[in-house]
Amino acid sequence: MRISDRRFALFLMTPAALFLAVFVAFPLFRLVADSFFKISPIAGGPREFVGLDNYVRAFASEAFTGAGWRTLAYTLVVVTLEFALGLGMALLFTMLGRSSQIWRTVFMYPLMIAPIVAGLLWKFLMIDNFGLIGTLLHQAGILSDPNQIGWLSDPNIVLFSVAIPDIWLTTSFMCLVLFAGLQNIPGDLIEAARLDGARAPALLFRIILPLLRPVIAVALVVRGIDAARAFDTILIQTNGGPQSASETMSLLIYRTMIRFGDPGLASAMGTIYLLAMLAIAFFAVATIWRPGKDT
Amino acid sequence: MSTAERTTYDGGTRHKAAPAPSAQTGTVQPRKRRGVNREGLEAGRRGTRTLLWILLAAAMVLYGFPFLYLLFTSFKTPIDTIAVPPTILPREWTLENYANALGRNGVPASFINSIQTAVISTLLSLVLAVPAAYGITRYKTLSGRIFIMAALVTRMVPPVAIGIPLASMMASMGLADTPIALSIAHTTISLPLSIWLMSSFFEAVPKDLEEAATVDGCSRLGALWRVVIPVVSGGVAVTAIFAFLASWNEFLFALLMTAIRSQTTPVVIANFQTQFGLDWGSMTALAAVYSIPVILLTLLLQRKIVAGMTLGAVKG
Repeated sequence: MRISDRRFALFLMTPAALFLAVFVAFPLFRLVADSFFKISPIAGGPREFVGLDNYVRAFASEAFTGAGWRTLAYTLVVVTLEFALGLGMALLFTMLGRSSQIWRTVFMYPLMIAPIVAGLLWKFLMIDNFGLIGTLLHQAGILSDPNQIGWLSDPNIVLFSVAIPDIWLTTSFMCLVLFAGLQNIPGDLIEAARLDGARAPALLFRIILPLLRPVIAVALVVRGIDAARAFDTILIQTNGGPQSASETMSLLIYRTMIRFGDPGLASAMGTIYLLAMLAIAFFAVATIWRPGKDT
Repeated sequence: MSTAERTTYDGGTRHKAAPAPSAQTGTVQPRKRRGVNREGLEAGRRGTRTLLWILLAAAMVLYGFPFLYLLFTSFKTPIDTIAVPPTILPREWTLENYANALGRNGVPASFINSIQTAVISTLLSLVLAVPAAYGITRYKTLSGRIFIMAALVTRMVPPVAIGIPLASMMASMGLADTPIALSIAHTTISLPLSIWLMSSFFEAVPKDLEEAATVDGCSRLGALWRVVIPVVSGGVAVTAIFAFLASWNEFLFALLMTAIRSQTTPVVIANFQTQFGLDWGSMTALAAVYSIPVILLTLLLQRKIVAGMTLGAVKG
């Protein structure tokens, strides 16, 4: 007997759904459950139900609120710069047309590089003493001493320095997506606006950006989520230091879990972090994307 | 103003009513055109183009330089690697760093682990994602819509939040410190992405195709396997590359879930920093060896990959 189409669709989806249920939903459930317990870091150690105590401790700790703000600042810096640079490159490629195709491909290469390698590479460029960037700026006469800027050792700027590899890695993604969006803008629309006397800024802000809005929304949300989870590049560059100045949420949770051996507290932090990300992502989609509404 | 005809723009996404330029009047004329802005945004004047090419050249040099510097450094002698002040090109070209890095204990094994993990994870992703994506796009049931939304939400889960519970689950299944455990963890990242990508590819297959096959006596599964999958084989290849890259470059799960036996190369690269002091020369050499194959592979297959990357976001 032939099963109905609905059943057949369900049958096709079941293995993947089961996989995600077992290996994502269940660990998440464990995470939330653990957040209500005081847990000994030793495997099989005692568990004691403490209610919301871990949440109270998380919100009361300066490390947690600090990491929250740093994660937000880091994400905003990364996404804003990536968007500006990516849009600039996408417009450049579009204005050059087909002859720039090979360079579009070359521009994509950082996307294939492991974040850990990118972090390492930029650390090597920015490190004190034998870092190349300080030396080049010194030779160009911009800095009086190659070590004048402690890219990775000055707590005031380190959060921006650790963002550089992330921006370098994924501006290409932004550029690719925006470039594809630009190709969908009808050419005669641009022509018509030009005939009406629209200059470049008006063309960009009144026509191109509004038309790209849905594409921009998807790109910003996708990248925002990734940036808010950044871990590899920061760990390898500074391990959250100096003085926790570059400790974002992922690093704090990792250290609370592994170094300080407090899985209960780490789970509470992870739960809050996840809920905040979901809330911000939905808010961002709703405001930037605005499906079904006119400008 | 009246010369401009109003055009509603589809935006390439599913929702309609993308904002049209407000200043324009006239009749609404929906349509969809691609690649038509060559006469629109493409610069025509020679002077402008020269300027743009100069800008592009500057951007490419700045963008390409960091990785080139990594390559140059990997060919320096270990002492020159950390010379003050640093030089861009090696004073003396040598393979010493490569010999040191590849000869180090555990490095060759980590390459094998990385390959094993990425291959298992890619296969697992495909086996699960292809039927699921087909079920979602072909039958458009409520459960399918819920499922693809749920898969998207999975993307937001920070790996650091599920890494530890996942590691203890693997340990209780007797899989601790094995490539299988790590590839399962990596599949939690690549599966939602694979489902998303494959759904876009299946979307483009005309329904008549497998209807004809079922009329000819094929079962629905048979039609999927023998008729539909061959048509989307390009899409399967793109999805496979993405799943492979996601696993190959992944670090956090690898850090949390592997000890010695199944350590992948990213973890080994990170360990260079603590275990052996600061051996920058070997680190740059190993990083180069790890990155270059995937860069070359993706440059070779670039057209398909660009299509895959933009598909998710633009056709989303």
